[in-house]
Amino acid sequence: MPGFVEVEQVTKAFDTRRGPVVALAGVDLSIARGEIVSLIGPSGCGKSTLVRLVGGLLAPDHGSLRVDGQDPLVARAAKSFALAPQSPALLGWRSVRDNARLLVRVNRGAEQHPVLDDAAIDDLLREVGLGDFLDARPRQLSGGMRQRVSLVRAFALGAPVLLMDEPFAALDEITRAEMRYLLLRLWSHHRSTIVFVTHSIPEAVMLSDRVVVMAPRPGRIVAVETIGLDRPRHEAQEDSVAFLGHVATIRRALHEAMVP
Amino acid sequence: MSRSPDRAVGRSLGRVALVVAPLAGIVGFLSLWELAVVAFDIKAFALPRPSRIVSDMASNPGFFARNGWATAREAGIGLAVGALAGAVIAVPMAHLRVVDRAVAPVATLVQVTPIIGYAPAIVLWLGPGLGPIVVITALVCFVPFLFGAASGLRSVDPDTLELLRSVDARWWEVLWRLRVPHAVPYLFAAARTAIGLSLIGAALGEWFALVDEGLGWAIKQGINFNAAPQVWGATFTMGALGLAGLGLVGLAERVSGLGRPEPGR
Repeated sequence: MPGFVEVEQVTKAFDTRRGPVVALAGVDLSIARGEIVSLIGPSGCGKSTLVRLVGGLLAPDHGSLRVDGQDPLVARAAKSFALAPQSPALLGWRSVRDNARLLVRVNRGAEQHPVLDDAAIDDLLREVGLGDFLDARPRQLSGGMRQRVSLVRAFALGAPVLLMDEPFAALDEITRAEMRYLLLRLWSHHRSTIVFVTHSIPEAVMLSDRVVVMAPRPGRIVAVETIGLDRPRHEAQEDSVAFLGHVATIRRALHEAMVP
Repeated sequence: MSRSPDRAVGRSLGRVALVVAPLAGIVGFLSLWELAVVAFDIKAFALPRPSRIVSDMASNPGFFARNGWATAREAGIGLAVGALAGAVIAVPMAHLRVVDRAVAPVATLVQVTPIIGYAPAIVLWLGPGLGPIVVITALVCFVPFLFGAASGLRSVDPDTLELLRSVDARWWEVLWRLRVPHAVPYLFAAARTAIGLSLIGAALGEWFALVDEGLGWAIKQGINFNAAPQVWGATFTMGALGLAGLGLVGLAERVSGLGRPEPGR
């Protein structure tokens, strides 16, 4: 049975001044509906390229991608993806409330899935602790609060697929840990399929059903670790033998991936 | 803790100084001018004292108000036309490199050619009256708005642009929701430059356009009748109009909340 997101033998190269650079070579990946899959690997291994290919923001040179049986461009036109980039990418002149509604408002009516209405989006903002900041401007928020707005904006769209490209990379460790549990809480209500790019092994293990380890030159998948931790996930699991075992396995795979 | 009242007083004094300093600068400059005219016994027909200019203005306020209004109206209309044309043409410039490459040299040519060179030709073409004055003013104001708007429309955050692309936003949604707000601070900066240019354009237009009102006309008439206080009174009025224009731009910036780039990253 095909996965919800299917990547088959995908190759992507970029033209540079020094000639073509192969960002991804022969990548295969199948993601089930509602699954959280993290992509981890050193810089230049094609994690962000793979996310953009899935989201129809880039076209593959070879191979094929399907999202719920559709071409990614068709899925993108139906607003099937909610992107959470590394920077919160908030509109500085808009309130928190308006920023959270942005993806719902743009290209309105194109989606084939239910989206949250304004009241539900406000409730979601309150749920993530931004109830007192609904009319605030982004400059009035801390880095963690801005990322919370970005998360709510993504979930507000109700898109079947969330594409998250290192959304917590710029945060301090404590805020980052809070954000991963917040993400899990929001996901438990919505059960979207999530493709999550990160450089943090503990973050990948705690969030994911599977962690995909990638290697550079050319970008490829070298290992896939299935995470057997129970859901809902909680902080105490971070001290468990199973958690530490997954972390060690992925660390070894990353080291091996770095050996030419 | 004990130093906080001192700091509060220091901050208040700092704020007062920020308001008083420009006024003190202007008063100091005019005082030096006054003293220099008296000390060097400069004749009034060559360079009148500021107090003489001000008293001349006070003795005939209607003259300066009427002509100031005429120039302000011409400058305002010309500035609005130039701003609109610049902002509209900047849209295809910001989106298509080929349009940018085609328009930029022409705009630069307009900018570097002294307006006094082609102003008489515009009057010959359009005939006397308000029309050529507005066209001359619009031409001198157009270029800062064009380049400012094009830069602003291109200055969007790539992550936000990709975010909108990820939901297949239509080009006009990207323009309206993202590019235009990014361009607004650049348009305010252009407006600050264009305020002075619009007054120059309007006054120069009045010289050539055979009109019988406006501060440019008043200066020309003052020169013809060797009335230096009138020339300087019209110049002072133009300066006041320029300051008022800058004040309006500052107010609009503050009210809109879009005066400075605020990407919210």
